[in-house]
Amino acid sequence: MKKFIQRFYLILILILLYSPIVTLIVLSFNNSKTRAKWGGFTVKWYASLFQNQDIMNALYTTLIIAFASAFLATIIGTAAAIGIQAMRKSVRTPIMAVTNIPMLNADIVTGISLMLLFVAIRFSLGFTTILFAHITFNIPYVILSVMPKLKQTNKATYEAALDLGASPIYAFFKVVFPDIFPGISSGFLLAFTMSLDDFIITHFTKGPGVDTLSTKIYGEVRKGIKPEMYALSTLLFVSVLLLLFVVNLSPSDKENKKVVKHRKQKQFIFRRLVPALLLLVLIGGGIFYGRSSNLTGKEQVIVYNWGEYMDPEVLDLFEEETGIQVVYEEFETNEIMYPKIQSGAIAYDVVCPSDYMIQRMIENNLLAELNYDNIPNAKNIGETYFIQSKQFDPENNFSIPYCWGTVGILYNKTMVEEPIDSWSVLWDEQYKDNILMQDSVRDAFGVTLKYLGYSLNSTDLDELEAAKKLLIEQKPLVQAYVIDQVRDKMIGNEAALGVIYSGEAIYTQWENENLEYVIPKEGSNVWIDSWVIPKNSKNKENAEAFINFLCRADIAKMNFDYITYSTPNDAARDLIEDEALKNSPIAFPPKEDLERCETFSFLGDENDALYNRLWREVKSN
Amino acid sequence: MKNKRKIYKQLLAGPYLLWSIAFILIPLFMIVYYGLTTSDNTFTLRNIAQITTDENLKALGLALLLSFISTVICLILAYPLAMILTSFNVNQSSFVVLIFILPMWMNFLLRTLAWQNLLEKNGVVNTILNALHLPTLNIINTPYAIILGMVYNFLPFMVLPIYNVLSKIDKDVVHAAQDLGANSIQTFMRIILPLSVPGIISGITMVFVPALTTFVISDLLGGSKILLIGNVIEQEFKQGSNWHVGSGLSLVMMVFIIISMALIAKYDKEGEGSGF
Repeated sequence: MKKFIQRFYLILILILLYSPIVTLIVLSFNNSKTRAKWGGFTVKWYASLFQNQDIMNALYTTLIIAFASAFLATIIGTAAAIGIQAMRKSVRTPIMAVTNIPMLNADIVTGISLMLLFVAIRFSLGFTTILFAHITFNIPYVILSVMPKLKQTNKATYEAALDLGASPIYAFFKVVFPDIFPGISSGFLLAFTMSLDDFIITHFTKGPGVDTLSTKIYGEVRKGIKPEMYALSTLLFVSVLLLLFVVNLSPSDKENKKVVKHRKQKQFIFRRLVPALLLLVLIGGGIFYGRSSNLTGKEQVIVYNWGEYMDPEVLDLFEEETGIQVVYEEFETNEIMYPKIQSGAIAYDVVCPSDYMIQRMIENNLLAELNYDNIPNAKNIGETYFIQSKQFDPENNFSIPYCWGTVGILYNKTMVEEPIDSWSVLWDEQYKDNILMQDSVRDAFGVTLKYLGYSLNSTDLDELEAAKKLLIEQKPLVQAYVIDQVRDKMIGNEAALGVIYSGEAIYTQWENENLEYVIPKEGSNVWIDSWVIPKNSKNKENAEAFINFLCRADIAKMNFDYITYSTPNDAARDLIEDEALKNSPIAFPPKEDLERCETFSFLGDENDALYNRLWREVKSN
Repeated sequence: MKNKRKIYKQLLAGPYLLWSIAFILIPLFMIVYYGLTTSDNTFTLRNIAQITTDENLKALGLALLLSFISTVICLILAYPLAMILTSFNVNQSSFVVLIFILPMWMNFLLRTLAWQNLLEKNGVVNTILNALHLPTLNIINTPYAIILGMVYNFLPFMVLPIYNVLSKIDKDVVHAAQDLGANSIQTFMRIILPLSVPGIISGITMVFVPALTTFVISDLLGGSKILLIGNVIEQEFKQGSNWHVGSGLSLVMMVFIIISMALIAKYDKEGEGSGF
């Protein structure tokens, strides 16, 4: 009976731990590209996984960093634990307090503090900085795993060994080490898994072109995780599982008891060493792989773009045609991108911010003037878009439009009866818990200010307070504040209405025909994302070649087909064969709709802080 | 001779001490510096005073509450679990322990995203409940989902240290207690539990702190409707890009962390006392 309860409890916990994993495994066989919908069984993601060099590179980087940082942390940490244990309590306590800091501190603070350090000593962010950061947060896990074991070791046996003539080192390895080995190995495992699993600290300490799986996934969250990621996780998981089974089914289990003790150590070695060796092989392969693809001293261009905002084939084509190697990195929001450029920690060559952020960058003197002689294809961009850009880049000196669009309401026709034409529906009680709101300050306030009939660039305190009040009123009706997930949730029929960028709307309609997009009558936001070159770019001409390439009609069309965000490239629009898409009111809204729309402008640091404060008041209410 | 040996032993901590000065203390000092200055480098306490605004206090309180509940749940779940694991024979148990670490080999963001799939209105759990004609579970985007996410993500950090300590307890001590007439409750309360305190303490630190400071879990499972102190700080750094206020708030949060460290240090002393 007791045994039964034990097993039952164990199984319950296992269900809790493994249900998300099973979910991910199931998703890896899902034929549909979004995780919200089951589109039938397929193994195609497994095939495409191995052709995806980005993911494979990220995998190898992740493994190398996890292994190297765990290994070094285990050595430093175990030595430290022994040393600390031998210290007087008055010395030990402060040291342990310091040791606790990386664990007790918020990851984000650790990440930022390390980034500040690296920036201050002008150590350029990249692979090495990630490694240092990971070692730093791994050591405490090792120390805390080893210390309890050390406390439990019987000092008398060690003294006895010494009395019997063993050297301290010999005595340590013969007497103490076997006792603390479980602590060391669990410390190593913890460190390895923590490193494997870390996202936040890596995010702040990494440089361009280096991605771990976490940062790669984070970049993808905005537009939906690539199914290859599920396939990769499944493979990783299954191979570790298989390894465990193989090792555990080794015959020693059946041997008689006396041998078992001797065997135990052997088994430990077997159990830990074999996986370690396999990892080494993987890592060796990884370094080889990484070298061949990444570290060549060719001409290069470092691109910093929104997540999932370009067809990867475009990059391949560019590399093929020009011989310039693209180092590609992604960001999630303008606000995340800005500090990185401002700090100058990484010399990006070409970046794709939105309107108001470009204005901020120009005002803070972060951008280089473009040389239009090197960008002849700029002529393909429609005149109207250049005129529109003058709102934030008065002379068109700094930016070339890449994509544009509006913000509107996406609604599910099966859940919403009446035709929708006003923002007021976002405050309609009958859609309680069925509304998805944008989780970004400017968008949330922009929508509300427009609904109230104000400008979405308002800095009037009364207007903003009124908007805040409305947003607080709306909060109980909101199912969730989302940026990227709105797409998947709408496709999966999770909500009736969502505030969404027009570029996402087309894709959601392809996946779920019940969805409809509307720009409310009160007007909305029209935005432009444009290419700019930061002042500290080291490859300005390559950057211009890159922008020029993207402005080529066939390339812009290719991109449009992939990301479905409206292109300002008139020549590319002419190439679109599907008439319905070419004249889609979502991608290319009629003039009268656009006349009701406004572009965000940068309101200055103080107003920025004001918006953020009000938004926090909404969120915490 | 013995003292000399001790000094040699202490030297082993040398590399770590250098490392911790360079990569723990100095970066921390930079946060303190940022927290106490304005953007034009003048001294101010205004960044720290930001915590007294209503919304920040609320976020801090909620974070403390949720992480406390999660830690308690983790402890309640993990302790029996660790005991069960210890009762297996050695060969089997290290396998079983690995089974508990194994989920972490799937990426943390993906696993948390998977909970969205499970808990959503039309998610897996509700589909099953519907099929069984049971009432549906609507906890996604509520604090309950965040607690679930915290427990799910941090449970292994509670299980492992407790298991580590329990597996080290000398069986003879337990047998001696039984021979002297202690029943199983007495044995547990007076022998096993006191001996496992160091493990419990390190388990609590390993769960409470990441839970207190998380922002990803509250973002993904709370639908961004619930603001924890971690979210506030993250937004100051990433969206407000006001590193000074973010640093100031981090300093406040670190006060709470130091308080819990002090409590832990106190109980750890007792743990040592009852140990060897």
